[in-house]
Amino acid sequence: MTDAASQLPRPVGAVPPARKSLLEPDARTRRRNAAETRFRAYGIAAIAVAVAALAWLLFAILSDGASAFRQTYATIPVTLDAAVVDPKGNRDPAEMSKVLTLSYGKLLMDGMKSYVASKNIQIDGLDDADLKSFLSEQAQANLRQQVLDNPELVGQVVTVPALTSSRIDGYFKGRVTAESAAADIKTSPAQLALADAMKADGALVTRFNSDFITNPDASETRAEAAGLGVAILGSLYMMLIVLVLSLPIGVAASIYLEEFAPRNRLTDLIEVNIANLAAVPSIVYGILGLAAFINFMGLPRSAPIVGGLVLTLMTLPTIIIATRAALKAVPPSIRDAALGVGASKMQTVFHHVLPLAMPGILTGTIIGLAHALGETAPLLLIGMVAFVKEYPSAPPEGLFDPASALPVQIYNWTRRADPAFFERASGAIIVLLVFLLAMNLLAIFLRRKFERRW
Amino acid sequence: MNDMRLAERTVDTDAKAIKFQCRDVQVWYGDKHAIKDVDVDILDKTVTAFIGPSGCGKSTFLRCLNRMNDTIPIARVEGRMLLDGEDIYDRRVDPVQLRASVGMVFQKPNPFPKSIYDNVAYGPRIHGLARNKAELDEVVEKALRGAALWDEVKDRLSETGTGLSGGQQQRLCIARAVATSPEVLLMDEPCSALDPIATAQVEELIDELRSQFSVVIVTHSMQQAARVSQKTAFFHLGNLVEYGATDDIFTRPQDPRTESYISGRIG
Repeated sequence: MTDAASQLPRPVGAVPPARKSLLEPDARTRRRNAAETRFRAYGIAAIAVAVAALAWLLFAILSDGASAFRQTYATIPVTLDAAVVDPKGNRDPAEMSKVLTLSYGKLLMDGMKSYVASKNIQIDGLDDADLKSFLSEQAQANLRQQVLDNPELVGQVVTVPALTSSRIDGYFKGRVTAESAAADIKTSPAQLALADAMKADGALVTRFNSDFITNPDASETRAEAAGLGVAILGSLYMMLIVLVLSLPIGVAASIYLEEFAPRNRLTDLIEVNIANLAAVPSIVYGILGLAAFINFMGLPRSAPIVGGLVLTLMTLPTIIIATRAALKAVPPSIRDAALGVGASKMQTVFHHVLPLAMPGILTGTIIGLAHALGETAPLLLIGMVAFVKEYPSAPPEGLFDPASALPVQIYNWTRRADPAFFERASGAIIVLLVFLLAMNLLAIFLRRKFERRW
Repeated sequence: MNDMRLAERTVDTDAKAIKFQCRDVQVWYGDKHAIKDVDVDILDKTVTAFIGPSGCGKSTFLRCLNRMNDTIPIARVEGRMLLDGEDIYDRRVDPVQLRASVGMVFQKPNPFPKSIYDNVAYGPRIHGLARNKAELDEVVEKALRGAALWDEVKDRLSETGTGLSGGQQQRLCIARAVATSPEVLLMDEPCSALDPIATAQVEELIDELRSQFSVVIVTHSMQQAARVSQKTAFFHLGNLVEYGATDDIFTRPQDPRTESYISGRIG
């Protein structure tokens, strides 16, 4: 071909123009460079927008939610009058438990009154209603529980930290002001003045609130007592079920489809459907769970077992897709090598292919789990949205007990009227984000650990 | 030296038993007829080279000898391939058992990402060739010595096999194949990814291995075929064009296609 070309007469006019200096880029090069510069600018702008959005989100959640981890307590001396808390006088917890919470409310009220009197606090307009609503209703219940747990306390004067109402707590967190209190039936400027006086005296402390993590949910009127304990347990149980079911099923299905199944119409159909299932809206899985697990199989409502099963169905396609990708990424030369020394198909897969695919499988599984952890919609349909105050018992029986879940708890709290619940919802989001972050870190750690250097 | 080996060849090829007897072998990849009517007898304790241009089917044919083509769903093999008189494509034959006696070394060194020891010990372990650790140690050492790698790696058997140099990796793969004591060793262009020095080492090794079993090697390098083999088969477009003693093929080719290929006019 080169011979033929050299024999042709050179066409006139097609002589390439003399090359300009290399020191000066020509117009074409300048245009190309400009295009590249523009593209880089777009990329940086896109990243800047994403980072700004993330930073804004984190800032908003942290500034709203961080205060949920702190709570205001009143430390006032309370006389545990034996005539009130132990009318029979035998210190028998069974007898004492007949005394209602309301009686302890009276004791706390007396405590407040004597405190105000002893400190000689004079505030205009401070009435009994202000003193009564100063402490949370939960404070009475807590005190009662404390006495029942430890009957020795009867008759003594105890100084226990008592939960203050959400308005007093909000006052120290900047949510409630004297102006807003004037228009609020649940508090008054006089009550806030008392709070200031007590704070100055050291009888009010705002400190870290571990109850927010461990307590169960509380009713509408006791935002200050509401916690995430049941939700965290419920989410944990569901994640256990999802892990135990979806990892073996997903990995076994992937290995079969990827390494053993013949390529035919049926497997193609299965493949397409798995990909489609990954894109099915999660609420559809909720309806499926309601129909199949609750209505047909008769499993209890609001139970982690049902939630876990639904989330398993939802997570399976993700895990299968991730696992198949990880198996595909194992070089075929490793399979050849194993088959070449006479390993069976199964030995090849389990001795060589699976260990090499492990980092990818684990990462996919954890990402799938993290996805399931944050899923709300299907849980609403199977009754996980219910108000649950009792902790579920230990597994396996506990899997059938009613429980809540973190994202559903967040959803529940954001619907409630008291602004204190808004703070708690943000706090719960922080907890959820911490869990997600921990799972992602675990994924990174496992990937590093199992990754083999080639 | 060349003359000496010439003499040796003429003597030993006649006396050797037939290891593989292949008759009327056809291979299809889907609709593509990749191997057509191949008849070939592979001798025991002999190095047989398959040469030919790219895509001529020599690797395909090699992979038929230990049924590695079974892993390709669209591949179909017909005809008779007898190993010591038994048809390896008989329905009763388990390819896994066959591959234990017909080992294979691939074009690209492909050690497992495990220790050197585990690489070599893998075959004996899964086939139960050693009763205890001491026996396994012995098998591993013998295989590594057989692959002329023992002296280089004996102090770092627990290091990963993928950390070795390319030539060492390929000899490790040979050791891995040798460790299962195969009767036939198939090598698919074992030196194509190696430098000349590593190639020379592997070629020397191939010549030594010939004393123990039959070696079949696919190569693109005609010099290599001439250096290491006693018998050569020339494949072209799926046909076995010519098969005979290596010296005859290179000095007195019967077929014009063989002559064109070895003189560099086609391929």
